[in-house]
Amino acid sequence: MKLKLLQLFPLLMLLAAQAFSQHKTITGKVVDQTDHQPVPGVSVRLHTKNSGTITNAQGEFTLNLPDDEKSLDFSYIGYLSQSIKVTTNTIAVQLVPDLQQLSEVVVTGYGTQERKFISGSISTIKGDQLKDIAGSSFNQLIQGKATGVQVSSDSGVPGGGITFRIRGNNSINASVEPLYVIDGVFVSSKDPITTSLGNQAGSNPLSDINPADIESLVILKDANSTAIYGSLGANGVVLVTTKRGKLNTKAKINLSTYQGWSDANKKFKTATGPQTAELANEAVINTAKDRGTDPSTVVLPFPNPSALPTYDRISDLFRTARTSNYELSAQGGTATSTYYTGLSYLKQESIVKPSGFERYTGRFNYDNNLTDKLKAGTSFNFTRTFRNVSSNDNNATGVINSAIFPRSYLPVYNADGTFARYGSFDNHIALIENLNNSAVGWRTIGNLFAEYTISPDLKLKSSWSIDNNSLYENNYSNTLISAGIASNGAASSNEGKNLVLTNEQVLTYIKSFGTDKKHNINALIGNTLSTTLSQGTGATGTGFATNALTAITDAAIRSGSSYRSQNKLVSFFGKASYTYNQKYTIDGSLRADASSKFGKNKQWGYFPSGGLTWRAGQEEFISKLGIFDELKFRASAGLSGNQNGIGDYAALGLWKAGYNYLESAGTAPSQLANPDLTWETTRQIDIGTEFAVLKNRLSFTFDYYNKYTYNLLLNVPVPYRSGFNSQLQNFGSIRNKGLELSIHSVNIETKNFSWTTDFNVSQNTNRIEKLASDISLGASGRNISILREGYAVNSFQLYKQLYVDPNTGNAVYDDVNKDGQINTADRQIAGSAIPKYTGGLTNTLTYKNFDFNFFFYFQQGNKIMNMHDFFLVHGGTQNNIGFDPRQLDRWQKPGDITDIPRLTTYSGDPTANGGAANNYGGNVARLSTRYLEDGSFIRLKNVTLGYTIPSLISQKWGISKARIYVSGTNLLTFTKYKGLDPEVSSQSGDQNTAGYDWATVPQPRTIQAGLSVTF
Amino acid sequence: MKYPTQYTKAIYLLVLPLLFSSCKKYLEEIPNNAIPSTAAITDAGTARAAILGTYNRLQNYTTDYITLGTVTADNVAFNGTLSEYLQLDQNAIPTDNVITVGVYQKIYSTINSANSVIAGLPGVTDPLLQTAEKNRILGEAYFIRALGYFDLARGWGGVQLQLTPTANINGIKGVKRSTLTQTYDQVLADLIQSEQLLPADDAITRNRVQKSAVRGLRARLALYRENWTDAATYSTQVIAQSKFALVNTYQSFFTAPYLSTESVFELTFSANNQNNYWSLWYPSALGGSYTLKPTASLISKLNDPGIGGTRKSLIAGTGSSVYGTLYNTAGTGTDPSYVLRIAELYLIRAEARAHLNELDGALADLNAIRKRAGVSPFTSGNQEEILQAIADENSVEFAFEAHRWFDLVRTKQAGKILGLTNTNFWLFPIPYSDLLSDPDVVQNPGY
Repeated sequence: MKLKLLQLFPLLMLLAAQAFSQHKTITGKVVDQTDHQPVPGVSVRLHTKNSGTITNAQGEFTLNLPDDEKSLDFSYIGYLSQSIKVTTNTIAVQLVPDLQQLSEVVVTGYGTQERKFISGSISTIKGDQLKDIAGSSFNQLIQGKATGVQVSSDSGVPGGGITFRIRGNNSINASVEPLYVIDGVFVSSKDPITTSLGNQAGSNPLSDINPADIESLVILKDANSTAIYGSLGANGVVLVTTKRGKLNTKAKINLSTYQGWSDANKKFKTATGPQTAELANEAVINTAKDRGTDPSTVVLPFPNPSALPTYDRISDLFRTARTSNYELSAQGGTATSTYYTGLSYLKQESIVKPSGFERYTGRFNYDNNLTDKLKAGTSFNFTRTFRNVSSNDNNATGVINSAIFPRSYLPVYNADGTFARYGSFDNHIALIENLNNSAVGWRTIGNLFAEYTISPDLKLKSSWSIDNNSLYENNYSNTLISAGIASNGAASSNEGKNLVLTNEQVLTYIKSFGTDKKHNINALIGNTLSTTLSQGTGATGTGFATNALTAITDAAIRSGSSYRSQNKLVSFFGKASYTYNQKYTIDGSLRADASSKFGKNKQWGYFPSGGLTWRAGQEEFISKLGIFDELKFRASAGLSGNQNGIGDYAALGLWKAGYNYLESAGTAPSQLANPDLTWETTRQIDIGTEFAVLKNRLSFTFDYYNKYTYNLLLNVPVPYRSGFNSQLQNFGSIRNKGLELSIHSVNIETKNFSWTTDFNVSQNTNRIEKLASDISLGASGRNISILREGYAVNSFQLYKQLYVDPNTGNAVYDDVNKDGQINTADRQIAGSAIPKYTGGLTNTLTYKNFDFNFFFYFQQGNKIMNMHDFFLVHGGTQNNIGFDPRQLDRWQKPGDITDIPRLTTYSGDPTANGGAANNYGGNVARLSTRYLEDGSFIRLKNVTLGYTIPSLISQKWGISKARIYVSGTNLLTFTKYKGLDPEVSSQSGDQNTAGYDWATVPQPRTIQAGLSVTF
Repeated sequence: MKYPTQYTKAIYLLVLPLLFSSCKKYLEEIPNNAIPSTAAITDAGTARAAILGTYNRLQNYTTDYITLGTVTADNVAFNGTLSEYLQLDQNAIPTDNVITVGVYQKIYSTINSANSVIAGLPGVTDPLLQTAEKNRILGEAYFIRALGYFDLARGWGGVQLQLTPTANINGIKGVKRSTLTQTYDQVLADLIQSEQLLPADDAITRNRVQKSAVRGLRARLALYRENWTDAATYSTQVIAQSKFALVNTYQSFFTAPYLSTESVFELTFSANNQNNYWSLWYPSALGGSYTLKPTASLISKLNDPGIGGTRKSLIAGTGSSVYGTLYNTAGTGTDPSYVLRIAELYLIRAEARAHLNELDGALADLNAIRKRAGVSPFTSGNQEEILQAIADENSVEFAFEAHRWFDLVRTKQAGKILGLTNTNFWLFPIPYSDLLSDPDVVQNPGY
């Protein structure tokens, strides 16, 4: 059935209303040979003339047959074409399914192609594969389902940011996000949240799409499939096709719901009050010794540690979070039109208070065959989201930081009952009760198209698309939280939008000809015009009469701001593929793009590609072997480009306004001109094979790719004396190469029981091949992340702790340059946040009406910078910060073997290796590999048990299908990582600072139960 | 081909709209919040905006510069979570320390703004821009450039002298580091230019540069160069102006509406151009991050009526929560940056006179400051004792301004007072990133 939905070339046209003086009327009915069910939509044509009709919902047709016409041709995708000699006025036709042709048709760039002829590397995921897993956005749910795609959630915040990379990071300063195309609409994947959340990515803009509306996802990975997207395609393309109705089908109404309960697998821990005091005392004594003072003369900060109380703040943070989801959809079609409409509501709480996510979606997909040649249709999606956002990670006044950092002996409330605050931190209860940061999104993704069938082989489609993502953010900090104390209440409001408008024309030509239709051509040409606009207006106010007043207009001091930036893209493209005898396919494409972003000298870019496919399984000498049911080799090469993520005016030399003084407007130089600025280009080759054995029960797909991205859009550091920090230039290159393997196995297939296994694994090696100079960044100026020639992006640079000297208790570091000193030159690259391998294993079992599915996800080889330990294993250097229990493992006396050095705050001689200063301060300043951990893990991502109520029973209730299920997500995780959860990236606001764990909401463990009923 | 006409039609449909609309024009996009650098200084309006932008750039680095001059020394200690401040406090400053790197960048971008005005303004012919105003703007630009290079020199030593605006990054190659003397000579040259171009002081202006501010900086420069005669001469010229006087209560110079007679030059902030430096000093209970905290020794000095006197208004709070209040507009962010106070010129002259062995004059200047703070006068002593008294006075009078560290380095006391005996660390490191991107720069020794 899926096949019929995917067919985009139903031969529905060709009703030539020719009037013949001499004719007879023929009526007939077309049924399927196997199940004898009527087949609607079959093309019935006169054998010699260009005229005919199609069958109706009952498979019936009526046709006027001229006297000189003897035969009728019947054709329909998925069936063998037949020519029937007409002898009577009523005929019955049985169509024979074409098993050869029953292969998958895949949506590709601007068209479709049969999978067996595709020369590129394309992964397909069915909408069905995304169901039952807890998670609000489809791109998050792809994790572990497709090769070449690395997906991980940055945190456990619902609707929060995710990291999504297709075949590695291609870029440094331009975007590394793929292009998302939903029903032909280029959608923005730019995070619209402007509220500062501590460097975490505020939201996943693709969570505006209800995964249940999705029919299929196609991921284009290699150059030949992405080059048609030219300057937008280098990071890969995700094509989303949503559900549509079928002609002549009864309305199918579906109601479904699920309810979920989530909690944390692991929670933060802190040292108790007495432990904290002992550690603090020990630090003071050790420091005195280091200074040569008699330790018996020092005054201990805590003369009686055991008398100190312990206040538990961590438990206040967590809750059992609820998730509720409700969906209603209707799908069907008449003889000339089809529809799909869906409504949904999702509410998801975060397991750490007070964040949450709510989403309302509505979708309306409609197609109408206005005439037999002209078809028009629309796909519209409306989404309203509501986020209650909360700053964490790198923000001392975030909820989590305010709970884990204050020393545990300090009370939560002052004696007078007010909220107590310590050092730089806020009070966590005050935050949970008073944080008021909301983000309300309105997303419209819409497309209108018209398709004119010029001839059966030639079609012209024109479409107009809009993606309007607007967000209204309102933040209010009242006087009970630290952000509002000083200003007597602070409010800010921002209304912004990201708008993408696209117009495109595509002319498609598909034709088979020659004896036995040996020659097949699939070609298209087209153009697009696209405008991307980002704009917004904001206001802030401080000073409120009372906490009950929150509107900016009520504030004593008010100010406003605005931003606007726009870019345009003009493109022409074409591609053609030729297949001979079902065996050999050669194809190629070319796209020309011109972007307003680039320098006057280099505005146009050209992106060619080509590929070859050899279906060796069709060769006699292979098929004779009787081993392979399918054997295919393919190779492709080409160029694609990237221009996203850089400023819209990056090529211009500019002076910016807003550098004001004395309430008068000032300007200052802001950007150096670069009239030669142009695309970064990715050259990719891909070699792959696909084969199936054992009667198609075991199939393999294997790919090797090598991507080389050059002319990187790079913020090249320039001498600071120029007055600038960097200039955006085309400089540098990155290589990603890797292997991908996926296996599909039908282990058991009987009438009552089936068991299938899907396994995939992807390996990617990322290496910066050329860079102007090192670029270090990350962790609020601690520069823990580094980009360096010869290493992967997202590498960490730290001082490598070799051991803690058992005699002195001091940390000894690797003296890289062997100069006997520890200073900046001794920082070294100690790993990368990028996993070497990622993959998934899915098992699906069905027994009668039961279905059971379990799915493992794994990644291996990535490092995590554990900033939690970085701060909380501080050896006493931070008077205002408590300790993590890991600090208790510190060296205490000669002979102790541990990786946690002796407590001290001594700062003398910061260059000495094995000196006390560098234990926790000094030149090393805790930038030590002791806080860098292996982030590999295997996770039982999902287990689902479902039961479909037997149709005999359900039909009694007027229900055509009903299924109930329970599922568990993130139930088990196997990892060496000591933090809460290895799936984390809290500095994800910048793509070059991945892999930090910094007071982040962990991935929730979720149990959900669901019910789906179709009428 | 079976359908030639249809093909042609279709191709026309695709191509025609584009033939008629000019692609080039369609692709022309310009920002609404910036102007082309080629048109940045062309008339009276843009010239005025450019000098205001230069002041803004100056504001942008002065607050962090205060951190560099305080937490590094003995009056202020690190108290937060951000290790870049800990590094400064411990005087273990790596070459990528964010504060030193940031200030270095920001000073040069201020200089680039000033250079743009100095290079661009003479070419502007606009009847609305009279010679007097043109000279004033130029004079301001020269002053700001001088201040920028002075602040670089006392922090990093002799630096690369960039005297023209950067239009093309390849055009700036080949400028090596100057010596400290050459750098100070450049500061002096700019100050002389500036003094000639700027108008004489009016009675009220304190947040834009006039002649006195130039002379004040010239006095400070002379002090750093140990040119005692010049230091005394130029500080006298400023003190002699009736526009300036020590305010009676110490705290009134950092209390709204600011711009007190104390101020020779201060940078004014406002609700629309905020100075959030207070948040580094204020505890979280008052909405700040409490990264910088007065040291115990400073707290006891300020609380001592014989040392701090009324200057104890520089601190507030009790117990372990004592915090600095010089920057105190929590919420509104309107604290000025105090660049030159008349008190400094008294102490400059006191120090210069002491070195010139005019001990009575030195004592008179020192006691003017002590008297204002409500502290009993320092009655007598030999030259060395008087110099020490002046240094101690500086430390308390300018506890939270960009003085103490630079004074300790200037008077070579950083080893004695801070235990920082390695004199290499008396200069900040040149940013590591600059060493990578600029073949013309060399690192300070010891880093």
